Amino acid sequence: MRTRTAATLLLLALVSALAVQSAGAQAPDRARVLRAAADAVGMVRWSDIGAADVRLPGIDIVNTMELVGSGTSDMGGRLVKTDYHVALGYNPAAMRVEMTRTPEGGAAQHTIQTVRDTYAWDESQIGAGLVPGKGTATPMNAAVQERLLQLWTLPFGVLKGALFAGDKTTVSTEGGATVLTFPLTGQLAGITVKATLDARNLVTKVETRPDNPARANMAIEADYSDYADHAEVLTDIKTPGHIVRKQGGRTILDIQIKSWETNDPYLVFPVPPNVKTAATR
Amino acid sequence: MRANSRIIATAMALVFAGAALLAQEARRGPRTVNAPPKPAGTTPRTADGHPDLTGVWNGLGDNLNGVPNQLANNGIVIESDTVAHDLHSGQAVTVFPRNTNRPLNNEQAERAASLLRRSGSNRPIYKPEYWDMVKYNDHNANEEDPSNNCMPAGIPRGAIPSYIAQYPNYVFFVYPGQGGLIATQTMYRMIPTDGRKHTPLQELDGSYTGESIAHWEGDTLVVDSWGFNSNTWFDQIGGYMHSENMHVIERLTRNGNTLTWTATVEDPDYLLEPWTTTPRVALLRPGAMLPESQPCSERDLAHVVTKEHH
Repeated sequence: MRTRTAATLLLLALVSALAVQSAGAQAPDRARVLRAAADAVGMVRWSDIGAADVRLPGIDIVNTMELVGSGTSDMGGRLVKTDYHVALGYNPAAMRVEMTRTPEGGAAQHTIQTVRDTYAWDESQIGAGLVPGKGTATPMNAAVQERLLQLWTLPFGVLKGALFAGDKTTVSTEGGATVLTFPLTGQLAGITVKATLDARNLVTKVETRPDNPARANMAIEADYSDYADHAEVLTDIKTPGHIVRKQGGRTILDIQIKSWETNDPYLVFPVPPNVKTAATR
Repeated sequence: MRANSRIIATAMALVFAGAALLAQEARRGPRTVNAPPKPAGTTPRTADGHPDLTGVWNGLGDNLNGVPNQLANNGIVIESDTVAHDLHSGQAVTVFPRNTNRPLNNEQAERAASLLRRSGSNRPIYKPEYWDMVKYNDHNANEEDPSNNCMPAGIPRGAIPSYIAQYPNYVFFVYPGQGGLIATQTMYRMIPTDGRKHTPLQELDGSYTGESIAHWEGDTLVVDSWGFNSNTWFDQIGGYMHSENMHVIERLTRNGNTLTWTATVEDPDYLLEPWTTTPRVALLRPGAMLPESQPCSERDLAHVVTKEHH
């Protein structure tokens, strides 16, 4: 009897030890994968360059970005020629998407859709609504989540989100590829992101799944390819050269990137007073 | 028993000695954080009771030769090997273990420095019609930055003076010229604290450092300046141009051996709202002497073939 008890205790101890080891193995693996993915796009830099007596750790260096491209996007169920210009930032979380869409045989349509934190608005011109008489800012607060989702499903948003999620980020392997899965938070709580890395640790596919099936518009799929330093001011940041976004299996955006700059200090997203007022009603 | 006690005592002594040596080693080792220096010592006062700002101020908080300090000045503070945050927004910034296996060559280091100095969130908000111009300035800073052509940095770009002399009726600020990473011309300012008022703006010819007057608000020296020309940018990065109507209010507060400086920039022509810099903290360097000011002679710009900057 005593032998059986001892054996049971030994087994329990062994199982516990294995469980602890397994949990311990998961954490460094996650850290290693995230570091490799962050390094692959060049978002980790250490900041003691030029100083002999300083040895600082690395930090996530990416804040603002500006990308310009062209291709096609969905307009009323049809893919039409599109010029695409995006300014974005992660501190604060903000994005301004400017598109000029020209249907075949039709007139060009110009839109500027902006989001910052909990505010969303459309601009008749860049910076509209900030100075009286200089353009119109139309509050679009119902669009906050959809616009923020665009920001956080770009490769840098995905990596920041996965790092931010900490222990809630899981690393797995699917078809030989490394997959990161993590929940979004804040305005995007209730949405899970699944990101696939290629052999060079670059984010090549992103899928989102809302917990609530009624939020079908928050289920998107994005493919990123042709990574390179697409900046005129070279930074060693690797950004996609081709973006494809799909919703419900249908392509809604297919853009070839012409330039993608990082940390341009002059991308700003002040919220127009009327947008702030509308959000409080 | 007594022998055992002796062994334990000896072992304890060795442990403590080892710990002391390690601590000493740690103190001698490289700095692994870039947080502003913590104040130490008392704040000396002049006969009239104000804090005495006299001294050479430089080092950990505001040394133009040290990129980490510029990083802190531009907003990201690394508090430990696991914690960093943006000073302006408070937002956490992810920290990664240092990669020691991949030293950067000069080109990569310049690119990293360029990114690092532009990562903070504290940005002035210009009127939208100037957004493209500011962006153009920074994008083309190699050619456009007035300071790169040996012009004075101006105010508030000069930030914390390297030397302050405080007298009963005025303070004297010295900003030695810097060669190398950021070349600037020597600047000095003689700022009255005798209660006089500003000359009307219309009567002033614009200058690089403007007309400054100062007064004390409690233990803070408040320096109020206007009458600038428009030939300077008002921060080290960003292409932040200004008009001749710029008005700058600097605040300098001594706490022990530290000096904290901020500046608020008002420019009704260009800015949508006043902008306040991220606080910068300098350390007193007792006994330090200002070095010879290096001549600023621009020789590199003609050879610059890309838009990469530092």
